[in-house]
This record gives sequence, structure tokens and C-alpha cells, in this order.
Amino acid sequence: MLDNLGEDKSIYLQIGEMIEDEILRDILHEEEQVPSTTELSKFYKINPATAAKGINLLVDKGILYKRRGIGMFVQKGAKEKIMEERRKSFMETFVKKIITEAKLIGVSRSELKKMIDSVE
Amino acid sequence: MGTLSGRNIVKKYGKDTVLKNVNIDIEEGKIYGLIGRNGAGKTTLLSILTAQNPATEGTVTLDGEPVWENADALSHICYSREINQVTIFGPNTLKVKEYLATARAFYANWDEEYAKELIEKFGIDTKKKISKLSKGMLSAVTIIVALASKADITIMDEPVAGLDVVAREQFYKLVIEEYANTGRTFIISTHIIEEAASLFEKVIIIDDGEIKYEDNTEDLLSRAYRVSGEVDAVNKAVEGFKIYHPESIGRNKVVTVLAEEPVDSFGNEVQVEPVPLQSLFYAMCVDEREGA
Repeated sequence: MLDNLGEDKSIYLQIGEMIEDEILRDILHEEEQVPSTTELSKFYKINPATAAKGINLLVDKGILYKRRGIGMFVQKGAKEKIMEERRKSFMETFVKKIITEAKLIGVSRSELKKMIDSVE
Repeated sequence: MGTLSGRNIVKKYGKDTVLKNVNIDIEEGKIYGLIGRNGAGKTTLLSILTAQNPATEGTVTLDGEPVWENADALSHICYSREINQVTIFGPNTLKVKEYLATARAFYANWDEEYAKELIEKFGIDTKKKISKLSKGMLSAVTIIVALASKADITIMDEPVAGLDVVAREQFYKLVIEEYANTGRTFIISTHIIEEAASLFEKVIIIDDGEIKYEDNTEDLLSRAYRVSGEVDAVNKAVEGFKIYHPESIGRNKVVTVLAEEPVDSFGNEVQVEPVPLQSLFYAMCVDEREGA
């Protein structure tokens, strides 16, 4: 879990992303229970309504589901779903940014490709 | 327990109008943050809402019943005020345990076990005299009273003012825990906005005796943007929006935008960043004073 939440994004979005990251990293497994709204709000010292908003976002996306009276669990196939979604935004959020910065500092396309190939 | 409402509240001290026609609804089961500059009217508003101070005009009701001299309504409301270390008779020689005993007698739902737990947590020596307490210890005592009162509506005026960073974090954690366990309503006024912002489901911004804003904190922040870039590009991008605190440096301009609805894009010519609550508050209040 993150130590702290940043200021660059709504807190509820950060809560959602943090849980997604944990699913991607296999820290949270499918069919496993995720921290409750109360636990999240106490840990991050955020309003429980905000924590709930983050959790509900993932329920709406089909990443978490509710077991009545028990809590929230990771949906089967959640990891694949998150990967798919992140792949879609990968171009916009990462690739285009790299290209823009490369142009700005005069790194050519072929140099950029070399750099990418050189990174493990 | 219903809504605590203030209607058309005006407060005058002599020629000074401290509150100008304030309307406010404190809904049950939420944490409110009350933010405003020194002298904005925060303490006056809180003392009127809790019937410790009469309004010049207007009414305060709890669940539709006026709260003024209404013992039943007031037994549901705790206003843990700043404690005076000096009284008109000289130093306040009351011991902490005597002060807490008064609170215990006053609040119907007082939780003595919880009070003891909190005393331990904040490391308070209850045999000490009020006049001998440090600023931090004084703040801790007001916090203990507020939390242990178990009042349905608990109001804290600058509870963290005298606390160091460790005690402040402890305080935020305690409030969240208590809120998660009980769903009590809290109103917390503070100057230290950013570190408390995530606690507040709703935020009330008061400036110069008027309520500038009362909204869900997340909703408010989701409509606030810091737009920067080349002057003409920025001017074009923010045209028609409510803007605060424009600043220029060279050919660059930065403005804070508060839109009616979240905005998808301001175009590719400008940079857009979210605005933390403290910066938004600053942008909203600084213009007023500068007459911009």
C-alpha cells in the first residue's frame, strides 16, 4: 500500500488505482477480500465516503464485487480487465508524453528506439 | 437527530457586522470542515449555531426546533471551546480532572472509559492546573472533551492549533475512527487546511462574514483547475469560466478556474493541473482582499 496519497488526482481515484496496482502486482489475488472502507479511511485518514467512492468505482468497472455481510472481493478476471484498460491508456499517458519530451530536447526517433531497446 | 440549520443569521458587534445573512445546513452524519481567515467569522458562527452567543438576526434550529435556551436540543450538541488559562480572577487554577468532571456532568452521553483512553493517548497529567498546561496540552484537553462527549453534533474550533505534527496526525486518526464507529456529525474549523482536507466530506468556506462556499469537498475539487501557459492561450482557454487569482510571469499566465461542472479539456495550448483545497481557498480569498 502507498504510504501517502498525493495531490495530483482526486483521492477516490487514487484509492481505486492503488487497489488496481495491488491486483496487477499479485499482492491482492482474485477472489480475495480487499480492505474495507473503514480500514482504508483509517489508514489514509480520509473520509469513509471518499474511500467508499473509490471502492464503488471498481465495483462499477467489474473489478470488485460485494459479498453481502462480508465485504468486497476481487472479481475473477479482474487482473486481465485492468491490464486491458491500462493498455488502452498506455499510448496516451506514457508513449505520447515520451515522444513530446523527446521532440522538445531533440532526441531523434531512432535514438529513442535505441534507448527503449537498451532498457531491460 | 436532524439537520442543524441557521437561517438569515446576522451578527453585529456595535458597528461591526461580523456575519452577514448566513444560511447554513449541517446534515446529520457528515464531517464538515469550516475554513476561513482570521476574523472571517468562524468562531462567531460556531458559537451562534451552538446557542452560546445570540444572533442579532436570524434563527438556528435543530430538526426544526429553535436551539436557543432549548436544553433538550443543546444536550445533543457539543461545542468544545478554547480553554482560557486566565480568568478575571487571575490564573485558571482549575485542575484538568476538575475541568473534565464539569464536562462529564454537562454532556448526557459522556463516555468516561473513552475519556480515560484519550487522556492516556495524549499523555495528559490530569492533576495539572489549566494555567500550567502547554498550548498542545490545552488543545488535547478540548479534543478529549469533544470526543468523549459523544454528542451527536460535535463542533471543534481550531482543535489542532496548538498541536505538533505527531499529535495532529493522531487527532485526524481519532476523528476518523470515532466517525467510522459512530457516524456522529463533526464540524471542525481549521487553518491547517491541506492535511485535514481529506477528512472533510463537506467544506464550508467563510470569508468576511459570508459563506462563499458550501459543498461536497470532492465535487468542489473536481471542478477546480489551475490553468497555465502563454497569456493569450490561457485567456482563450478560460473564457466564460469563473476565474480566481490570475497571475502573470513574463508571457506566462496562471489562473485558478472554478467551473460549474467538471471540464473535459481546456484545449492543447495550455497546461491543466488539479488544485488542492488550500490553494483554491487562497485563490478565492486573496482576490476579495485585493479587490481584483
